[in-house]
Amino acid sequence: MKARVVGQSVPRVDSWDKVTGRARYPGDFSMPGMLYGKVAWSKHPHARVRRIDASQAEAYPGVVRVITHRDVPVNEYGINIRDQPVLVAEGDAVRWVGDRIAIVVAETEQAAEEASGLVQVDYEPLPVVTDPRQAMKPGAPRVHEKRGKSNVLKHIRIRKGDVEAGFAQADVIIEGYYITPFVEHAYLQPEAGLGYIDEQGRVTVISAGQWPHDDIHQIAHLLNLPEEQVHEIVPAVGGAFGGREDMYIQHLLALCAYVLRRPVKIVFSREESITRTGKRHPFYLRHRWGATRDGMLTAVEIEGISDAGGYASTSIPVLSNATSFFAGPYVVLNARIDGYTVYTNNAVTMAMRGFGATQPPVAYEQQMDKLAEALGMDPVEVRMRNLFDEGSVAVTGNRMPAGVGIKETLRQAALAAGWREDVGRWHKPDLGQPSAAQKRRGIGVACAYKNVGYSLGFDDKTTARIELALDDSGAIQHARVSVGAADVGEGVHTALAQIAAEALQVPLECVEIAPLDTAEVPDAGSSSASRHVFISGNAVLRACQEAEAKRVAALRAETGEKHIEAQFTFRGRSVRQTTPYNRQTGQCEPHISYGYATQIALVEVDTETGEVDVLKVWAAHDVGQAVNPDMVVGQIGGGVHMGLGYALMEEFIQQEGLVRTRRFSEYSIPTAMDMPPELVPIIVEVPDPLGPYGAKGLGEMTTLPTAPAVLNAIHDAVGVRVERLPATAEKVLRAMKQHG
Amino acid sequence: MPTLTLGLNGVGTQVEVAASDLLANVLRDRLGLTGTKIGCNEGECGACTVIVNGQAVLSCLYPALKAQGKQVVTVEGLAANGELHALQRAFVEAGAVQCGFCTPGMLMSAKALLDENPHPIEAEIKEAISGNLCRCTGYYQVIQAIRMASEEATS
Repeated sequence: MKARVVGQSVPRVDSWDKVTGRARYPGDFSMPGMLYGKVAWSKHPHARVRRIDASQAEAYPGVVRVITHRDVPVNEYGINIRDQPVLVAEGDAVRWVGDRIAIVVAETEQAAEEASGLVQVDYEPLPVVTDPRQAMKPGAPRVHEKRGKSNVLKHIRIRKGDVEAGFAQADVIIEGYYITPFVEHAYLQPEAGLGYIDEQGRVTVISAGQWPHDDIHQIAHLLNLPEEQVHEIVPAVGGAFGGREDMYIQHLLALCAYVLRRPVKIVFSREESITRTGKRHPFYLRHRWGATRDGMLTAVEIEGISDAGGYASTSIPVLSNATSFFAGPYVVLNARIDGYTVYTNNAVTMAMRGFGATQPPVAYEQQMDKLAEALGMDPVEVRMRNLFDEGSVAVTGNRMPAGVGIKETLRQAALAAGWREDVGRWHKPDLGQPSAAQKRRGIGVACAYKNVGYSLGFDDKTTARIELALDDSGAIQHARVSVGAADVGEGVHTALAQIAAEALQVPLECVEIAPLDTAEVPDAGSSSASRHVFISGNAVLRACQEAEAKRVAALRAETGEKHIEAQFTFRGRSVRQTTPYNRQTGQCEPHISYGYATQIALVEVDTETGEVDVLKVWAAHDVGQAVNPDMVVGQIGGGVHMGLGYALMEEFIQQEGLVRTRRFSEYSIPTAMDMPPELVPIIVEVPDPLGPYGAKGLGEMTTLPTAPAVLNAIHDAVGVRVERLPATAEKVLRAMKQHG
Repeated sequence: MPTLTLGLNGVGTQVEVAASDLLANVLRDRLGLTGTKIGCNEGECGACTVIVNGQAVLSCLYPALKAQGKQVVTVEGLAANGELHALQRAFVEAGAVQCGFCTPGMLMSAKALLDENPHPIEAEIKEAISGNLCRCTGYYQVIQAIRMASEEATS
């Protein structure tokens, strides 16, 4: 038996190019004769566009063309619903400040930029609606007057058991109203790329997309071309976190190349990247829980409203996911749950690390702590009494499948943080002395879980192709893996190469991941839903197994074969068929697989300034099988970073649809100085029998518990709760003053 | 146009620049050194960090002509004689690279630190990279890599 490759912390396959500056990102590509494009953006969050006058911009020295709606063959797109114009037409409306009026293309970037300010638009301002709770009321200004009967894009209901009877059995009622903010993805590489017509006459886009094959599908539609006439090349990608799941630049590059038949480069400024692209959904979450005096939940009533912004993007799937997670990883026999997502004139909201699983724990984990407090019970203990086991029935009526590691993550995190277990009773650790007289220490626990793979009936599949080059003895010299999975920084290429090396029993150096060109490699779905290790890993594993079987057969038959090829399409539904929500009851089989997590935060709160220092985080993550433990630790570090920003500092602020946080000095993400000095990653491996080598998913789960753990720790320290994120020093101080 | 003469990664280099040109654009667009990244173009993210005469500077704010007669080192100049710099090896080993877009700037900030202070304590490492934003790693493995490189220099 050769040494295993899966489970080893091998260096990432792309790291040498990235430390030497050789790796090329979308903004690093140039071509002879290249032009530069700059977008003329909407100046209003909601207005009728009466007339567009591009004559001044067109006359500007160096300008080659001003592309408007008249140049778009089919002026509609959208990843889920085609409700967005590529360029807003005269007579139509702008619905947020990220709507585009025109693309100015010029010989130099400077000329394009200067002329983009000269595109004249005659706007008729329309009433602006920016609070989804107002927008869903009858009579509210309509964002899409021709779509549906109101601004409510989707309402999902879950009805389980007898909620009134459940509340009647309760000894305590726990209530809360929690509000989460818009959040910016803040990947370091702003949107950029190059569009051109290649030597075969195809529209070619070099850019960073999370689902390049879907981009092609959408671009072919809006250019009214067959899909074979369009392709996308994805080089190194400077982070994504969901923000590149929709097109924000790919379609513009394709359109420019299509119209001008010349290479056109577009690079967004940081301000454009922050102000004109999608965000994490804000949620307004109202909870009412009943529980017995021994801490068992008897009923939950939950309403969650999300702000979809000006266009649908993935707001419906995000809401669908979120609604399935509103009650947390807990057994709830009686539930009445309503989820809504509503159009407004705010920023479009979209996928972001967690995809609807990140906001719910901010509410359900604070509820759980309030319950512990009301009963005088330890927060670990009350969770242990309610958490899922294998076979537990979720609010959607499905049984939790094999591989439920949530209790194990809680147990390991709690023990590492100093809790003592004594026959089912848990005892909190002593926290030591604060670093100054005016500071108070607190510790907070949060659990969370999330789906792996696409959900609720959506067909999740990856096709992988393996080509083996054999030597004279028939041994494998080289294996080339073709799979359209974009490595957006998380390391999927390394993980898939490890799975291939393991399956073929060859050293990792023999495995090559083919460059991502949609015309050359098969569709692997998106780099999202923490799905690639599970879904694409299964596809690579099975394609390798088929290739290996063919190789062995060829050896037996002594064919002298030097080249073996195999292709496999793995479908999620071949291992678990998910189903859509039942319209009346919400009962369904929502997800293929799950990842589980617990984090514990130790904080110090300054009672004079309200400032919160997170001193230490214990992060226990059930990944089934760590394909690459160092990469798991890296994901945990990044997830805690994002969760810490969510808890304490990050908020994308708009006023009447206009953006107030336009740059990194106004939208702060944590620096090295802001991070907790100590992070204790704990890798838990409760295998999922359906995952490759037992692996689940990980990327998104790392960020889910951080914010509620910090919020619970703040409460433990100073007795107050900040129920509207982020918990800035001002808000903590104000809450302490009100508390007295 | 004025001529900028500088030492670029140890090689004497001349390039015509406009008075308004910034070093980052000259490196990337005129000299083909795209290893230096532009993440914000206003000095707030650190991705464009290069070393000028031993000091880490933000090349997106640095007038190109200010580098007249100076020694400029970019990420492409870190490796010498086909050997990776200790920091580059440590970044690979420690898993300090994810998307990698902040990596060149992070490496240059770290090199400026270690050249000046070969044995920094953790607080000094954090301070040295506090102007380099990273959205992927939480900085832990970056800090670990810089510590590893400084320890390698010791042994």
